[in-house]
Amino acid sequence: MLKIEDLHVEVDGKPILKGINLEIEAGQVHAIMGPNGSGKSTLAYVLAGREGYEVTKGSVLYKGQDLLEMAPELRAAEGIFLGFQYPVAIPGVSNIYFLKAALNAIRKHRGEDPLDAIDFMKLSKTKAALVQLPDELTKRSVNDGFSGGEKKRNEIYQMAMLEPSLAVLDETDSGLDIDALKVVAQGVNGLRGPDRAMLVITHYQRLLDYIVPDVVHVLINGQIVRTGDKELAKKLEREGYSEVRGASQL
Amino acid sequence: MTEARRQTLLASIPASFDTGPDWLRALRGRAAATLREKGLPTKRTEAWRFTPVRSLVDSEFSQYEEGVPTLVSAVPEGVTVRGLAEVLESQPELLQSRLDFGGAPTHFAALNTALFRDGLWIDVPGGAVVEAPIEISHASPSSSEPGVVYPRVLITAGEGAELTLIETYAGGRAGQLSNSVVEVELGRNAKMNHVRVHENAGLQIGRVDVRQDADSGYRSTVVTLGGALLRFDVRCLLQGKGAECQLDGAYLTDGDDHVDHHTLVEHQAPHCRSGQTYRGIVSGKSTAVFDGVVVVHRDAQKTEAHQENRNLLLSDTATIHTKPHLEIDADDVICSHGATVGALDEDQLFYLRARGVPEDFALAMLTYAFVESIVDRMSHEPTRARMREALLSRIPHGDEIREVT
Repeated sequence: MLKIEDLHVEVDGKPILKGINLEIEAGQVHAIMGPNGSGKSTLAYVLAGREGYEVTKGSVLYKGQDLLEMAPELRAAEGIFLGFQYPVAIPGVSNIYFLKAALNAIRKHRGEDPLDAIDFMKLSKTKAALVQLPDELTKRSVNDGFSGGEKKRNEIYQMAMLEPSLAVLDETDSGLDIDALKVVAQGVNGLRGPDRAMLVITHYQRLLDYIVPDVVHVLINGQIVRTGDKELAKKLEREGYSEVRGASQL
Repeated sequence: MTEARRQTLLASIPASFDTGPDWLRALRGRAAATLREKGLPTKRTEAWRFTPVRSLVDSEFSQYEEGVPTLVSAVPEGVTVRGLAEVLESQPELLQSRLDFGGAPTHFAALNTALFRDGLWIDVPGGAVVEAPIEISHASPSSSEPGVVYPRVLITAGEGAELTLIETYAGGRAGQLSNSVVEVELGRNAKMNHVRVHENAGLQIGRVDVRQDADSGYRSTVVTLGGALLRFDVRCLLQGKGAECQLDGAYLTDGDDHVDHHTLVEHQAPHCRSGQTYRGIVSGKSTAVFDGVVVVHRDAQKTEAHQENRNLLLSDTATIHTKPHLEIDADDVICSHGATVGALDEDQLFYLRARGVPEDFALAMLTYAFVESIVDRMSHEPTRARMREALLSRIPHGDEIREVT
């Protein structure tokens, strides 16, 4: 589904990603772990198409297409979803109304008819229940005055509404207490399926107790230095990044 | 003085005023004298620095016979609406000391005082709480000849009275100037919602003067949808303890529009509160001006005054001049002011796009949200819906936004 080859990315002329290779198959959940500043969020933004990230080398193929050529909304229409680490508040734009615009744009891209208001509201209620997001919050301005936990649940609610093929979740666990984490993880797990892939970015192993990955990568200083199964995450938790970093330099 | 003499627009001021009650003739005479001495604004007039009117004041305008604002809603029970000319004829004493209560006017307001022929007086007596909005229209004259109208409106609300007034200023062909004065007198504890909509304004210059007695409340919301040359000065005199005013505005300019909003709030009594929030979306080669002043007089302790002007600059060729400022002579006050000029928030834009909203639609959504927040503060839902509709008719993708909201 996703094939990243030798990806180099600079921000303001400073190299951040220095040759990433990563391949994700449909149905898989990959985790990327790494210390602060290792380039995790940069990778997420590059996949979603944010401006300001210059790809100096390498390629990203998504479902066989050149992802880097696509505008962010086209990537979304093709099934890519980015769950933001820090979801922005948008006063005056209600959740439900921008999602309706987004969903219908995506449906149009797929050649499907727009959802009518009633079907849309039904869908919204179901998906909000999935992450225990109060119905009232779906009608409020996007993330405006939301608590940290509500913002993250709102991200997963939106993901459930949009049903992406590839979900990139950037530090979805940050700022969550254990109960909120369980709710969010449950929401994510409910969306796992044979046609859907996920890339879960996290600093801590804790999230991976609830969203169990098929493959774990360790990203340090812009490069994937180790790849393994879920046991690698546990080893990291025990021994810390410095051990892995040390090993990678041997 | 010589410069003033050359201004063509002043040529129609008569040498003497021979009709109407003595006090009105005196008012008109004083206004005329002021104009003869000081003239209409020039490029050296500080308050008109960013709004050049030279070609306007040097143009030939004949005064239209028509041009009195018209009442377009029913007159709610308890409200009296009369023609100014008729009252000045039959009961002039009712209007004495009400016209030009704000002191001797200058510039365009003085020209209105000197030359207005008729107008409307809307009176809401003490205790009358009027739910239904009263609506008046300043439609442009049907004549295709260039000309000028001097609309004049007086609103008086007695103790505890409440009303909503909607004024629409529409159209105006090239060469048609509207130079209006609206005066509002709010008694103790009176409340007024004042909505003004300027749509496709041609040449519109106007003043709104408000005086407020104790515990009265005045909320002004002005929606400006373009204008070849629009300049409005709103002045609130908070004269009674505990009076409050809120002046809000949303303006959308494009093409060669020139829209200039001036506000002045004078805190003359203690324990008053004022707020101003103006937001603009400025595109094309248009110019928008906001100049807001809050004056806190020495005795106006416990004043609370806030002022904010935010602008979205959507093109490289558009211009914004913004200048909120405070003059404070009291020491126990809470005041704030601020202005911003910027582009749309990149983080918000990316968020919407990353979820699948096409870029131009996302831009339109954010643009609409930016000004809709002004309309959202209005208390009367049908009016709010109407203002939203007016904004949507101007915003790109308005139809699609209407569908999802």
